[in-house]
Amino acid sequence: MTPQTLLWPILLPALAAVICFLIPRNMKLLREGIALLASVAVLYLGFALFSVKNLEFRLPWMGNGINFELRLYHFSSFILLGLSGFLFLITLYSTVKMKNDPRVGEYYAYVFLSAALANGAVLADNFVPLVFFWEGLLLTLYGLITIGGKSSNRTAVKAFLISGFCDFCMILGIAILWSITGTLTISQISVQPEGLAVTAFIMMMIGAIGKAGAMPFHTWIPDAAIDAPVTFMAFLPAAFEKLLGIYLLARITLDLFKLEKGSSLSLVLMIIGAATIVFAVMMALIQKDFKRLLSYHAVSQVGYMILGIGTAIPIGIAGGIFHMINHAMYKCGLFLSAGSVEHRTGTTELKKLGGLSKDMPLTAFGFSVCALAISGVWPLNGFVSKEMIFHGALETGYPVFAIAAWVGAIFTFASFLKAGHSVFFGPRTKEVPPVKESPAPVFIPILILAFLCITFGVFNKLPLVNFIQPILEGHVEAGENIDFTAHALSLFNPVAGISILCLLIALCLHFTGWKRGDKKAYLASEPVHKFPVIKQIYDLAEARVFDLYEQGIVFLRCFSLVLFKGIDRPIDFFFEKIVTKTGSAFSGVLQKAHTGHYANYLAWCLGGLLAVAALINLLIK
Amino acid sequence: MIWQILLLSGVVLFSILAILSKDLIKSAISLALASLFLGILFFQMNAPYAGVFEISVVAGLITVLFMLTIALTKAEGDVRESKLARLIFPLVFVAFILIDVLVMKGLLQKVPALPETSESGAFGDVLWKQRTFDLIGQLAIILAGVFSVLALFRKRNKDE
Amino acid sequence: MIFLFIGLPLVVAALLPLIGKISKRVLPDLLANAVFLLLLVLAVTAGRQVISEGPVLKQLNWLGEPVGITVAVDGFSLFMLMAISLLTLCVSLYSIDYMERYGAKANYYALLLMMAAGMNGLVLVTDLFNVYLFLEVAAIASYALVAYGLEHDELEASFKYLMLSVIASAAILISIAVLFGMTGSLGFTAVAAGLRSLDAKFVVGFCAALFIMGFGLKAALIPFHAWLPDAHPSAPAPISAILSGLLIKVSGVYALTRILFNVFGLTPALSQVLMYLGAVSIVVAAFLALGQKDMKRLLAYSSISQVGYVVLGIGIGTPLGIAGGLFHLFNHALAKGLLFLNSGSVQHATGTRNLEEMGGLAKRMPVTAATSLIGSLSIVGVPPLSGFWSKLIIIMALVQAKEWPLALVAILASVLTLWYYLLMQRKAFFGKLDEKWKNVKEAPFWMTASTVILALLSIGVGLFFSAFIKSWIQPASDVLARGIHLALGSWGI
Repeated sequence: MTPQTLLWPILLPALAAVICFLIPRNMKLLREGIALLASVAVLYLGFALFSVKNLEFRLPWMGNGINFELRLYHFSSFILLGLSGFLFLITLYSTVKMKNDPRVGEYYAYVFLSAALANGAVLADNFVPLVFFWEGLLLTLYGLITIGGKSSNRTAVKAFLISGFCDFCMILGIAILWSITGTLTISQISVQPEGLAVTAFIMMMIGAIGKAGAMPFHTWIPDAAIDAPVTFMAFLPAAFEKLLGIYLLARITLDLFKLEKGSSLSLVLMIIGAATIVFAVMMALIQKDFKRLLSYHAVSQVGYMILGIGTAIPIGIAGGIFHMINHAMYKCGLFLSAGSVEHRTGTTELKKLGGLSKDMPLTAFGFSVCALAISGVWPLNGFVSKEMIFHGALETGYPVFAIAAWVGAIFTFASFLKAGHSVFFGPRTKEVPPVKESPAPVFIPILILAFLCITFGVFNKLPLVNFIQPILEGHVEAGENIDFTAHALSLFNPVAGISILCLLIALCLHFTGWKRGDKKAYLASEPVHKFPVIKQIYDLAEARVFDLYEQGIVFLRCFSLVLFKGIDRPIDFFFEKIVTKTGSAFSGVLQKAHTGHYANYLAWCLGGLLAVAALINLLIK
Repeated sequence: MIWQILLLSGVVLFSILAILSKDLIKSAISLALASLFLGILFFQMNAPYAGVFEISVVAGLITVLFMLTIALTKAEGDVRESKLARLIFPLVFVAFILIDVLVMKGLLQKVPALPETSESGAFGDVLWKQRTFDLIGQLAIILAGVFSVLALFRKRNKDE
Repeated sequence: MIFLFIGLPLVVAALLPLIGKISKRVLPDLLANAVFLLLLVLAVTAGRQVISEGPVLKQLNWLGEPVGITVAVDGFSLFMLMAISLLTLCVSLYSIDYMERYGAKANYYALLLMMAAGMNGLVLVTDLFNVYLFLEVAAIASYALVAYGLEHDELEASFKYLMLSVIASAAILISIAVLFGMTGSLGFTAVAAGLRSLDAKFVVGFCAALFIMGFGLKAALIPFHAWLPDAHPSAPAPISAILSGLLIKVSGVYALTRILFNVFGLTPALSQVLMYLGAVSIVVAAFLALGQKDMKRLLAYSSISQVGYVVLGIGIGTPLGIAGGLFHLFNHALAKGLLFLNSGSVQHATGTRNLEEMGGLAKRMPVTAATSLIGSLSIVGVPPLSGFWSKLIIIMALVQAKEWPLALVAILASVLTLWYYLLMQRKAFFGKLDEKWKNVKEAPFWMTASTVILALLSIGVGLFFSAFIKSWIQPASDVLARGIHLALGSWGI
């Protein structure tokens, strides 16, 4: 294979995006056909490149170290395969779900453009193209959310701003790193996190975890769950952004900076991870909407990945990366099954749904498998990756992180018991008439994902040895060569015992809540919700007190107002009010203020001149 | 000598007229005359460059600017100013001048100059041989001014 | 050939009022656009050949006799010529439909051509006093164009603009006079040589301060910005586009950098002052833009902020910084020109500039909405649009120069920029369509055509940025990076 092949995963989806955008509105079949064909082609490319593993493409661009460099190796080829797989499933699903959307052409264009940019970001081996592709995703993020409809613009702006902030932080981090190492080629960089490099690390980490949606950069995700199309949720926040964000985080901690076990940076990451797990899962527990509940879990699970990678211990890192791919599978499956329910019933409110398992058995099966996987039930994939993270967290010597992860596990299971119980099991409700199972393009992706969840769980050695192990090679501390076959990931060890205990606690919690709430499953979380101190925290959270974005907006608005009033308006105020009033008191003549404005402007300029002159002369000395 | 004093007092007289006059047209004409005298004065004192500056800038630019200004203010209707608002600019300006004088005093002593070159010549020579481009520029400025006046008076012509 | 850039617009402008007597619309439209198109083609094709072997000095021959008219062409001036021709062409295309309601098209085009001639002259001259003269040509034409609508606001804005501009001219003139007094000449080469042989750094500092104030006023850097937020929104949309997109950069940034870099030579002190001015402009103007309700006023404040980026980039003084600054100058010219034209389309369709009254216009004006999204995102710096690259290069250059606080300012201000542009987009084009805009139509052909051209250019330059940088930006930034050696070496025959 020639190095130019590496351009294909970028150019092919981009081309498909343009074609989908240009096809006239009424030629639906043609568009869907081309979209499917393109996604299959990309998937094939993903497989082909996965089998190649090592390829480099370098093109001089504009000097100063800014070159167009792409590099395929085991990690990026693995992510590339994952991305193309999700692209195919989402496209298949969208052929039904997005069929009647008025902006469907635009939708496919954004989806394929996202795929092109994400592939580019994964392959990039130079920071400049990386930033280019990475930031380009902002555009499609914004576009995809706005497809949702009326109130989606507000959410789109919010998502754009938060992601934009994270991306700009990342640029700054990259710039600092560049000034330290003097090169922009990613594969040549490896520094110790000391001094200025710590700042660089934190800035780049913000970029990575912001993309993955960790706290406190998560607040747009639950909003988008309501406003944006559900395929978008399954596509970007659940799958693509997790893969990209965690990929970058892993690259940062493994390759760019030598993160050491027990260092303060490792602690920072673990604290962010643990906090994200606990807070987001608590929020998820009390949600009354299916999609919103899932979206909070999408945040909470990022916490596990960050915690795992943050441990800087081989088993933890491997667990974090494994959890990333597992999470992308089951969360994508969960969103798709929520979409399937929405497709048939027209609602995702837990209160209105119930007993759908008889009408939609395949969706219910897919959902159940994915929900059990995310809750970490043996023998599904979530169990394996979570166990690895628990082990890693315990090995760091800070059991508090393991405890936080276990607390997260309790509430994860409890909230999924609530969701599953409300939607698919329990009695039928009046609001929803009898429905049929969704068409094949909708349930096939769900079933494929559920199948993968089972396979990756039961045969966990397969992905661990083939996919994850090569990534860690060369990064493991000398002598500590990781061997997954040796690690006790079976049911019979104390760590797994605690995990199973957690699941049992969750089960008890659910049933007590269910009984207390008049046997209404959607009220099962109320006892936790109403718990004294916790209730106040929940109230504050619902009022968006913890939402940095909303608080930031309030602050910046005030600041901007102050500046506007402090710099621009004094001119107006002084001359419109003070001068006019005093002046009219003296002379009784009505005045126009523009000569007054002028003098004031002039005074500004003269003052500026003096300042500049003074500054220059000061600096000359 | 007498000519020079006469010219100088002419400059001062017309400058004061320009500031005091309430009628803008009179003010503009006074300023143009003051500048003209100043320009002649420059030539009298063997400073052809300065003379070129003065006459070209004032004849070309300032007059046009003032015509424009008059056109604009007339279009605005009568605008009266309060006495206080009138005071502010002079105050700021005087303050600026004071600072300026203080600074410049120190600065002027430091101004070095190259030894004089033999670049002087007759006024016509300077204007035509060396500063042809300036003349084109002047022409363009006057042209721009004329167009401006044409453009800004167009609606009134239509109305009348 | 190069003399055409000054002569052709001047001659055509002089003829236009006469032609206007014969044909009120068609001929002026045709003639003006033809001139701009010709100049663009000249700049893009023939211009390259002229400077293929470095900067050249050209003297006009009149009937075989050399006349005292000399112009210099190098990478920097050619780049500016190209930018000027490109944007004026788009603006004059736009004016074909837009200026219908103002009437007196011949006069309008004459003034536009004068302004173009002034800007072209400004980038070609080699003499301080000529700089001043052509500055005034462009400025006088712009005063009249700002007031072209003849409404009260427009006249007042124009008056304010005029009065502050006169101060700028005075400051520049004083500085020129001081330099003339010291060195006895006005040519760039002679002044540069003279200053080198004199040890007069304080006086040079004083002159530089005056130039910074004068050209800073023209470029609307804070605190010299007060005229711009009034003047730019008041002008007819195509004129706002050209004022914000070009004039402040040509008569402010170009003239300032040409003199500071190639005549004075950039000292660390000047570099610091430029960077601080740029950074202050970026931040303060971004905050001011945030609170605006008037679409064009928001754009005007944003222009101040973006010129801050340009000055910040150029002020760094490293080749990378200069390249970033110049690239941003070009990208901002494209994008801001586009946005002002779009604001004109919106005003044309709805009759308002108040963002609060708009909403949902994307359904009625899809092309305008799409192009203005592209323009906004380009200024904000989102790939693959061109603005992304220039901002990235500026930030990288700041980091390279170890200016951490300024790099942070540049990045955080990008977030602010992102915010106010998204607010503008949301208020104007998205959301619910107001009942009263039910019958709004998309703008006429030439108006949409020119905005589409600008939007495509923004995307194209973003995608092929490396080729663009190599062929246009690099030669231009080389010129500035060579500093006074350019004036002494290449021009000093």
